Amino acid sequence: MANKVIMVVDDSASLRQVVSIALKGAGYDVLEGCDGKDALSKLTGQKINLVISDVNMPNMDGISFVQELKKKPEYKFTPVIMLTTESGDDMKSKGQAAGVKAWVVKPFKPDQMISAVSKLIQP
Amino acid sequence: MSMEEALQTFFAESHELLQEMEDRLLAIPALAEEDRSETINAIFRAAHTIKGSAGLFGLDGIVEFTHVLESVLDKVRAGQLMMDADMVSLFLDCKDHVARLVELQESGATLSTDDQGKGNELVARLSVYLTDTPQAAVAPAGEASHPAPAHPTDSLALESLGGNVLDNDNWHISIEFGTDVLRNGMDPLSIFRYLGTMGHIVRVVSFFDRLPALSELDPESCYMSYVLNFHSEADKATIESAFEFVQEDCKINILPPHSRVADFVEAIKNLKQDDLRIGEMLVKSGTLTQRELDAVLAYQTAQEQGDSASQDPHKRPLGEMVVQAGIVQPEVVEAALHKQIQQKKAKSRQQQSIRVDAEKLDTLINLIGELVIAGAGVNIVAHRSGQTDMLEAASTLSRLVEEVRDSALNLRMVQIGETFNRFQRVVHDVAKDLGKEIELEITGGDTELDKTVVEKIGDPLTHLVRNSIDHGIEPADIRAARGKPAQGKVRLNAYHDSGSIIIEVQDDGGGLNRDKILAKAIEKGLVEPGIDLPDSEVYQLIFEAGFSTADKVSNISGRGVGMDVVRRNIEALRGNIEIDSQYMAGTTIRIRLPLTLAIIDGFQVKVGNAHYVIPLDMVIECVDLPEENINDGHDSNYFSLRGEVLPYMRLRESFEVTGETGKRESVVIVKYGNTRAGLVVDALLGEFQTVIKPLGKLFERLRGIGGSTILGTGEVALILDIPGLVQQMIRKSHHETSRASVKE
Repeated sequence: MANKVIMVVDDSASLRQVVSIALKGAGYDVLEGCDGKDALSKLTGQKINLVISDVNMPNMDGISFVQELKKKPEYKFTPVIMLTTESGDDMKSKGQAAGVKAWVVKPFKPDQMISAVSKLIQP
Repeated sequence: MSMEEALQTFFAESHELLQEMEDRLLAIPALAEEDRSETINAIFRAAHTIKGSAGLFGLDGIVEFTHVLESVLDKVRAGQLMMDADMVSLFLDCKDHVARLVELQESGATLSTDDQGKGNELVARLSVYLTDTPQAAVAPAGEASHPAPAHPTDSLALESLGGNVLDNDNWHISIEFGTDVLRNGMDPLSIFRYLGTMGHIVRVVSFFDRLPALSELDPESCYMSYVLNFHSEADKATIESAFEFVQEDCKINILPPHSRVADFVEAIKNLKQDDLRIGEMLVKSGTLTQRELDAVLAYQTAQEQGDSASQDPHKRPLGEMVVQAGIVQPEVVEAALHKQIQQKKAKSRQQQSIRVDAEKLDTLINLIGELVIAGAGVNIVAHRSGQTDMLEAASTLSRLVEEVRDSALNLRMVQIGETFNRFQRVVHDVAKDLGKEIELEITGGDTELDKTVVEKIGDPLTHLVRNSIDHGIEPADIRAARGKPAQGKVRLNAYHDSGSIIIEVQDDGGGLNRDKILAKAIEKGLVEPGIDLPDSEVYQLIFEAGFSTADKVSNISGRGVGMDVVRRNIEALRGNIEIDSQYMAGTTIRIRLPLTLAIIDGFQVKVGNAHYVIPLDMVIECVDLPEENINDGHDSNYFSLRGEVLPYMRLRESFEVTGETGKRESVVIVKYGNTRAGLVVDALLGEFQTVIKPLGKLFERLRGIGGSTILGTGEVALILDIPGLVQQMIRKSHHETSRASVKE
């Protein structure tokens, strides 16, 4: 059986790399996107088990990205973990309206991310 | 038949039943299915009987375990479960465990952790058969899948589901998922799987009560609720974190295992930090998580606001709310409350007092003693100089010195309550030794006296209290015959009385037997036969060395050593003992002690060229010696004070003072206890602050002199021992009256 796929969307390449290494180490496949627009373009109907997305990104921010994502029937029920900073309360309510329930506060350590992911899906 | 004997019967009976259980179990495999019912019944009955009897004896461990065993056996008996070879061996293990429990009870040993682990393991294995999940039940699947009627957040439902017996070591997690969880991409199963990584999910019970009719069912919505029995070593916050992403939409209740309650209570007890609020304590001990606390606090605030609108001032305490919400056990809240009260007490005590090395205080008192003497010297010089401003300055100085002295002495004052409270234990132990029932009543615990006195009064008091219980309080049968309650009463009391402190040891026992004491005293040659002594003096005889009227020597009292030591100890503290006793009704021993041992207000008198000091609080008045007594020589020892006859003594004669006599003689009337007497002196010099200096070893046994002091002039004055002198006078007058009566 193929591994479960997680899409990581963040404008920081280094963050994407670290998260990818950690997730791959935990037994997931990873798909990367550098912003909302880029990510949407890469989502062409293939199975995605989880999306990890930053909020603040160029071209298309995380909230809009999730809103767009949820419009697609094949990704309607895909769980989303949103990366946020402590001060992002305002963002949080917007994200909740868009259907984001899981938040991980930046900065985080790789194993914190793994732990958060495993609350939603298991490899 | 005693309970003990009944218990022995229970042990024997249990062993028989267990043996029978084993025999029957071993016979099962050989029996055909349809022939087993009688055998299974017998096995069930054995477990049932043991459980029932154990309950009678309050052997809860056995009851709890056999209850589980019995429940499984009941299912077997009802045909819901098939007894296979696995089950037989499980039951055999259970039988062995019950036997072990009974043996432990028999030998009075406690359950080892091994035994406990074994028990838990067996309970876990048994409870597999108790769950209503289809794979365990033999009954048709349809029957088992009927939803349980209760709501999962209802704590009652939890109780009825598993029963506390099974769940003792497990967390109770009830979770009601929000309708949107699935839509949000959350999968309950994932969360349970995650939970599984930190422990073992023992049971999952699903609730479908929110499930709507099929026509209204939205396939994207979640209608599920679950109750989990979760075995884990993780703490509450960690377990809660598994629900991190769903907790906003879900109702989650996490109740720690019962077996953890003791740990939580312990953790609360060991909290070092002061000033914690109940909620903070519960969070720190791991009982409550921060999120739960915040939620409850928010709810409380909301309610308060609602209440103020409805004019209801009643605010529900946090502890009550968390218990009612079923997230914390009441025992834990109780421990937290207790801790809080303790903290408050400790804090207020801390604020009120500073600890000071007793040695520093002693040094201070000594210095003040020197200051008092130096002050007196200044006074004398000022008087001699005759300068008004000098005199004024000196008088201000001495007033201040007096105040400093009082407050310094006050520093050494401690309450006697703590000393009194120690006697609860003494009374308990002695009463137990003697098989008597005694109640100790303590009053006047807040009475203050000098620290040195408090330290030294303990031993004599112990002796008196023991004596009261042993000799004073009668055995229960005699008390009943005398119409007294079976429980004897010993009372400790303290109060201030004119410059002394009185400590009373009172009992409602048989009282002193005057005739018996007198007879004994005559036998010992302490009293001449035929002399009529007042009661108080007869009672004083019990303080003579080697005096005991006890018919039976117990290891507590009756050897006649002790009471004389008691008196010596008290006298060393410049105190004395009086006894009030009523035959059949009780005895009161009254210890009179000076408030302090260091500095007193004295009254200075002069005889010849010698100065003497009388403790001021014992001086009542001073009068001129009546004319008829002036030249009465040495025959009479009485004079009339406004018609009252008082004994008196001339200090000049008693102390054989030489030197010129004064122009006139004065009488200082002193009072000690209830006795008044006169001391004839040459001159009255007035009040004087007296720093007491002990007499040397050589003069320790001197009667009539209690100590010495240094005057402002540097001269030494002797402090009169008024109790000693008063007793001497009374004894002398008694001797004379009795001699007179013999002559007649």
